[in-house]
Amino acid sequence: MIEFDRVSRRYGDQYALRNLNLAIDQGEMAFLTGHSGAGKSTALRLLLLLDRPTGGEIRVCGERITRLTGGAVARYRRRFGVVFQDHRLLFDRSVHDNVALPLEIAGFSPRDVTRRVRAALDKVGLLGSERADPASLSGGEQQRVGIARAVVARPEFLIADEPTGNLDPQLSSEIMSLFEAFNQVGVTVLIATHDMPLICRLRHRIITLSAGNLIAGDEP
Amino acid sequence: MKAPLFRERHLWRWLPVWLAQHRSAAKSSWRKLRARPLSTCMTWLLVALSLALPASLWLTLNNLNAVTAHFERPPQLSLLLTEQTELDGAVGLQKTIENWPKITLVTLLPKDEALAQFTALTGLSPLLESLPRNPLPHTLLVSLDKAATEKDRAQIAEQLQHLDGVAQVVLDTLWLTRLEEGLRAASRWVLAVGIMMLLATVLALGNTLRLTVVAREEEILVVRLIGGSMAFARRPFLYTGLWYGLGGGVLGALILWVFSGWLAGPVNALFILYESQQRLQWPGIHYPLILLTVAVFLGWIASWVACQRHLSQLEAH
Repeated sequence: MIEFDRVSRRYGDQYALRNLNLAIDQGEMAFLTGHSGAGKSTALRLLLLLDRPTGGEIRVCGERITRLTGGAVARYRRRFGVVFQDHRLLFDRSVHDNVALPLEIAGFSPRDVTRRVRAALDKVGLLGSERADPASLSGGEQQRVGIARAVVARPEFLIADEPTGNLDPQLSSEIMSLFEAFNQVGVTVLIATHDMPLICRLRHRIITLSAGNLIAGDEP
Repeated sequence: MKAPLFRERHLWRWLPVWLAQHRSAAKSSWRKLRARPLSTCMTWLLVALSLALPASLWLTLNNLNAVTAHFERPPQLSLLLTEQTELDGAVGLQKTIENWPKITLVTLLPKDEALAQFTALTGLSPLLESLPRNPLPHTLLVSLDKAATEKDRAQIAEQLQHLDGVAQVVLDTLWLTRLEEGLRAASRWVLAVGIMMLLATVLALGNTLRLTVVAREEEILVVRLIGGSMAFARRPFLYTGLWYGLGGGVLGALILWVFSGWLAGPVNALFILYESQQRLQWPGIHYPLILLTVAVFLGWIASWVACQRHLSQLEAH
C-alpha cells in the first residue's frame, strides 16, 4: 500500500506537487498521467526517495518513508523495480550482467543469479540475448532488458516512468502486456505515461495530475 | 518471495554475500584496468617512481648509518695539564698513567711543540710570537685499549680528571658527533621528501580516479536507483585504487632492486678500497614489503577521497 498524504514539493515559488492525496492498494495496477510538468515524475521521484517532499507524508506499507536515511534508503529502494523511459542500461557489460545487477546488490548466490536472470529474460522474450552487448539491441529490446532488470529480484512494487515513450504502438502494447502479467502475479504496478490511447484500452485506474494537483482518479 | 540476504543480521549469512560482492568488484575493476593497458601502466609507473625515489634515498641513508656504526670510536683522550705543571711533572704523570689498565700508550706533547704545531697549522705566527708567553699547556695523548667500551672511556676520563695537575680531559669524538648530526639532518630531509612525494602521489592518483568516477557516473546513479548502498557503489572504485597501488608498489619494489643492484658494484668496490668488511645493504624483503603496503594504502586512500567527494555531490542532485 502506497499512500501520499497531503504531499507537496515546491521549487522556489513553483509547486511541482500541491497537497497530493493518493492511495494505491497492494496488488493494484494504476496509470499516472497528465501533460508534461503535471508532476508525474516528481511523484515517482518522491516515492523512490530521489527527492524529499517540502510538505506532507508518504507511507509505504504503513512506514513513513520520508524519514528514512542512509542505508535504510538503499534497502527501501530494493523493494521497487524501476523502469525508465531511456532504460538506463550500462553499456560496458552484457545483457546478463545488466539484469543481474539488482541480484548482486541484494546478495544472491551466483547460481541463483544465473537462474533468475535467465527466468527474467525468458519472461521478456530475450533468453537468447544473454551474452549480447545491450548497444546491439533495438530500442524495444533494450526496454525489455530494462524491464527484466526491474523484475528480476521480484520486487513488491514496479514503477515505470514513460516506459513506452520511444516505442511504436505495437511495441508499446507488448510492453504494457508485460506489466499486466507481472501485476497478475501480485506485483503493485504504477506507470507514469501520457500515452492516453494505449491506457484507455486497458482497464486500470487512471490518476490524472495537472499543474501539481490531482484532478481525477483519486479512488481505486 | 523476498530477497532475503541483506535483511539478515546474522554474520554467517551476511559474510559470504559481502565477500562475494568484494570478489566481484575486485574482478570487474581489474578487468576494466586490463582493458586500458597503456593508461594503467602509466599510472603504475607514476606510483612506482614516486615511491621508489624516497625509498632509495632511505636505503642510501641506512647504508651510511650502517657504515658509521662500524667506525671505531677513536680510543684516544687528550689530557690538558694545568699551567703550573712543569715538564718533569708531565713526564711523571705519563709514567703513572701508562701502567693503568686498558691504557696502551701515553704520548707527551710538550707545550713548545704544541705551539709550533699550532703555528704551523694556523699560520698565525706573528700574532703568537707577540704573546708574552706560551698560552698552551703540556698535553698527554692517552690511547685506550681497543676493547675499551664507551663506559670504560667515561670512567677513565673521570679518573684522569681527578689527577693532580690535570686541567681538562678532551674526548676526540667531535667529528663523529658532527657526522651523526649530519646524518640526522639528512634523514629528516629524506622524511620530508618522502612525505611530499606521498602527498603528490595521493593527489595525482586521486585525480586519475576522479576521472574514472566521472566516466562511470551513470553506473553509480543506476546502482543507487536500484537500491545499491553507497558502499556498493564505491566498492569498484576502491578496488581500482587498490589495483593501482598494488601494481605501482610491485613496480616500485622492482625499481628499488634494480637501483640497488646498479649501485652495489661501485659501492662495494669503495668499501674494499677502505678495507672495510661492510657491504651494500640490499633492499631485502622488508623494503619491498613496506613499499607495497604504503602503495596499496595510498591507492585506497586516494580512491576513497575521490569517491567520497563525487558520490556526495551526485547524491545531492
